[in-house]
Amino acid sequence: MSIITDVIQSTVAVIKGMRRTLAEIPREKWTVQYPDDPITVQPRYRGMHLLHVDENGKEKCVACYLCAAACPSDCIYIEAEDDPRPYEQRVGRDERFAKVYNIDYNRCIFCGFCVEACPKDAITHGYNFEISVYNRSDLLKTKNDLLITKQKQSKNYRVALSSEDVDSEYKEV
Amino acid sequence: MSTELIKVTINEQEFEVEKGAKLIEVCREKGFGIPSFCYYGDLALQASCRMCLVRIEKMPKLQTSCTITCTDGMIVTTQSEEIEKAQRAMSEFLLANHPLDCPVCDRGGECELQEMVMDWGDLEERFVERKNAQPEKFLSPIVANDPQRCILCKRCTRVCDEWMGEEAIEAGNRGVNTVIGTYGGWLGCSQCGNCIEVCPTGTLLDGVYRHETRPWEMDQTRTTDVYSSDGMQLSIGSRGGEVHRIVARDRYVNGLNGEFLDVKARFAHGFINSKDRIKTPLIRYKKGGKLIPSTWDEAIHFVGSKLKESGNNVGVVASSRLTNESIFTLKRFATEAVNSNNYAVSDAYDLAPFFDNLSAPLCTHKEIRHAKTILLIGGEPEEEQTFTAKQIRQAVRNGGAKFIVVHDTPIRLAAQASQFIHVNKGSLDAFALAFADQSDATITKKLGAAQTEIDDLLKTIGETEGDFIIMFGGDLSAEAQAVLANVAGSFASDTRRALLHPLPLYNNSVGANDMMAGKKPLEEVLRTSKALLIAGSLPEDKTDLLANKDFVVVQELFETATTEYADVVLPAASFAEVDGTFTNNAGFVQRVRKAIEPIHQSKPDWVIASMIARELGADFGYNFSSTMVFKAIADSVPAYEGLRYPLLKDESKPVQAKYSPVAKRDLSNEFAALRRKVEALPETSEKITETPRVGHKLHRVTTMTGKTDQFHLLAAGNPKPENLLVSPLVQFNLDGTPRLVEMAEAASVNVKDRIDDKETVASKVVLK
Ligand code: SF4
Ligand code: SF4
Ligand code: SF4
Ligand code: SF4
Ligand code: FES
Repeated sequence: MSIITDVIQSTVAVIKGMRRTLAEIPREKWTVQYPDDPITVQPRYRGMHLLHVDENGKEKCVACYLCAAACPSDCIYIEAEDDPRPYEQRVGRDERFAKVYNIDYNRCIFCGFCVEACPKDAITHGYNFEISVYNRSDLLKTKNDLLITKQKQSKNYRVALSSEDVDSEYKEV
Repeated sequence: MSTELIKVTINEQEFEVEKGAKLIEVCREKGFGIPSFCYYGDLALQASCRMCLVRIEKMPKLQTSCTITCTDGMIVTTQSEEIEKAQRAMSEFLLANHPLDCPVCDRGGECELQEMVMDWGDLEERFVERKNAQPEKFLSPIVANDPQRCILCKRCTRVCDEWMGEEAIEAGNRGVNTVIGTYGGWLGCSQCGNCIEVCPTGTLLDGVYRHETRPWEMDQTRTTDVYSSDGMQLSIGSRGGEVHRIVARDRYVNGLNGEFLDVKARFAHGFINSKDRIKTPLIRYKKGGKLIPSTWDEAIHFVGSKLKESGNNVGVVASSRLTNESIFTLKRFATEAVNSNNYAVSDAYDLAPFFDNLSAPLCTHKEIRHAKTILLIGGEPEEEQTFTAKQIRQAVRNGGAKFIVVHDTPIRLAAQASQFIHVNKGSLDAFALAFADQSDATITKKLGAAQTEIDDLLKTIGETEGDFIIMFGGDLSAEAQAVLANVAGSFASDTRRALLHPLPLYNNSVGANDMMAGKKPLEEVLRTSKALLIAGSLPEDKTDLLANKDFVVVQELFETATTEYADVVLPAASFAEVDGTFTNNAGFVQRVRKAIEPIHQSKPDWVIASMIARELGADFGYNFSSTMVFKAIADSVPAYEGLRYPLLKDESKPVQAKYSPVAKRDLSNEFAALRRKVEALPETSEKITETPRVGHKLHRVTTMTGKTDQFHLLAAGNPKPENLLVSPLVQFNLDGTPRLVEMAEAASVNVKDRIDDKETVASKVVLK
């Protein structure tokens, strides 16, 4: 092949590529400048779990172990405890509460089965996705990390409104 | 039961069944599921739940299959639209006032109501009326109760009455107001927990296990009870190395005892994971010094060198709570590692006189249940061999057996007796003599009972056709036991079998007697040996004999009076942490299985003994496998010949060790000794007229039971607290005195931290 054909062919390729690039520049952009800009997540996004409390701050979980039973990756560990104190003084909304509630995020596959299993709406998926750590053992989250009153929420996301049109694979680009 | 066969048609299939069989059982056996709540095989019929309805041809209405006995030519339909409609309606009514508590209900996951409703009920509820909510409360330190969950099947009241003879729990009120309740609102019974076990719902709950975990989270391990000599089969529920509860539920275990257990077997498991367990080997380097933690290597080495110094003068003592494997290894340790025949069993009393004179076969618990006449001399089975007592009660109540009690105390079981021979205090031996040697009429004078009473007794025995069982307790002297065991066989005839049933005190007393052939009396071993290896603590009154010994090694779970004399304490594993066998009082060799790994650094007793033996240069060839130990037992103990673990696998078909009745021995020495003893008895003596209180032995706080807090309250007389909604453990000190907050703080009693909150207790519990 001659050197001339070579030059022509690569120039055509560059022009083709640049045409695409230049054509894209004036169009609407989908790249998010994370972490400088917050990411918009779907309302049903499955992030790190939240353990909920009732209107008086009492933990909703009654340690029924149904989430642990439903979990396909067996990553929930609970220890139940009896708390005979009156409602105002105890930790949980019910007499029975979870003394220990751990989720091992080394194993969690964010399937949401636990949320569906919960009879008390005590556990839901939150939106927090920034759970990378330097040490694998830090992926074991305890009740203190999961409780909605204790969990630190990142500023780096916002939840899309239900009316909002958000990025999805079905959207025409 | 007759074995005559009749024909029954179920769902258009014809079957041959035994005459007299229950229809519900037949249907289930043939594979037609029938829902039921109130039916319970071992109890009187109730027919209150109406779930078991079937259509029987020529009968006007649907019939409850649990009350129908099969008759020839019966045509039954178990499934049809009509039946299903009726069953769905019944379950809807049962749920009309049932709370949606499954997530917090301790029965959730193994609840018969849940299962029945999933299978036979409607998933939708049509009642919209407010439910009559009631709080969960306590009926005793051990029994929790949520009345709203009750479906009034009355299984609980029937077990309490039929199995236990206590009638402590009863149905009160009528109609929709019916509730299961107690007399005075508090259960003063023996706390066996059988009502909890048979309750198909979460109405009666285990107060020790309350809210600890959930059934499906636990591993179930079938094993044998570590307290009573009945060898009851039970299932240990453990999770992550911790034992949470013990049950005998049909779905997990099907032993000789069915679902029956007693208070100790079921609830006194706190010792297994107790924080007081000895954690590491401990060595006392200097007499009078402190026990200092060490490593296994060092401890074994130390023990080995010290035992070598003591030469031939080493004694070995095994507790009869240990497994056969451990006791056998300890005996081998004595004879092979330290060349001594100084070995003994520490037990409440020696079973050798009984087994050396066994003139009749040992009877099984099933045979007690179907016996025709039962003679109980001394002993107190309702406190010590609870399952035997239950079988006696049922034999009397449901089987119409004649039950004769000879005792110096009017024990509770005597209320069931058809004849009660109330002898003078301490003259049970005299009775044994009078019974065995009927020629000497002078003895009856010492008895405080008329000759006619003994004549009546002999007449009853003479009229018996079927099984005649003699059982006697450890309150008889060794000679009396020998004489009675020897004479029993002579009551057998063509129409009558004579059977013997020992009443030993510990779970493996019988096994210990088998394993330690040629054992010496405990006192003699303690006195004559210079150095001692003791597995399991000695009875407290014997510990003094350990003073001034050269060297004492103790294998124990806890620090006890015996370990105070020890130079080395080695942490032993409890029954829940080892594999092995126990032999019960019917001679059944039953498996003990490892439910959890040994706690801390503890090891099974037989492993410890073989480690020391190896240090001394003797190898038993066990390779640290309990299977090998049991094989060695089978090879050297005649009664266990041919037994292997796989043969003992199925707890529903227990295997009996082969005790063959021995040839009648000449017992003139024993007779003479007994006669001397009887002659020494005073002519007149007072009679004990007071019936001992329920639980006076069962609820005793011992090293083992004491680790379960509830036993302290039971031993303190089971006081009723002011507030039934809160666990009595919060409201009382362990000694049974009402708990004042300041006192509780000062004494730092063993209650859970979160309750040590001044306001908490004060606001909920009314304090004196
Ligand atoms: S999201 Fe799925 S994997 Fe993760 S804890 Fe819940 S059930 Fe388990
Ligand atoms: S989070 Fe929900 S499902 Fe899990 S234990 Fe608590 S109440 Fe039960
Ligand atoms: S008794 Fe059974 S059905 Fe009723 S709340 Fe308890 S688990 Fe659920
Ligand atoms: S307490 Fe349990 S066993 Fe007793 S009647 Fe109620 S449901 Fe039946
Ligand atoms: S089982 Fe037949 S009526 Fe309850």
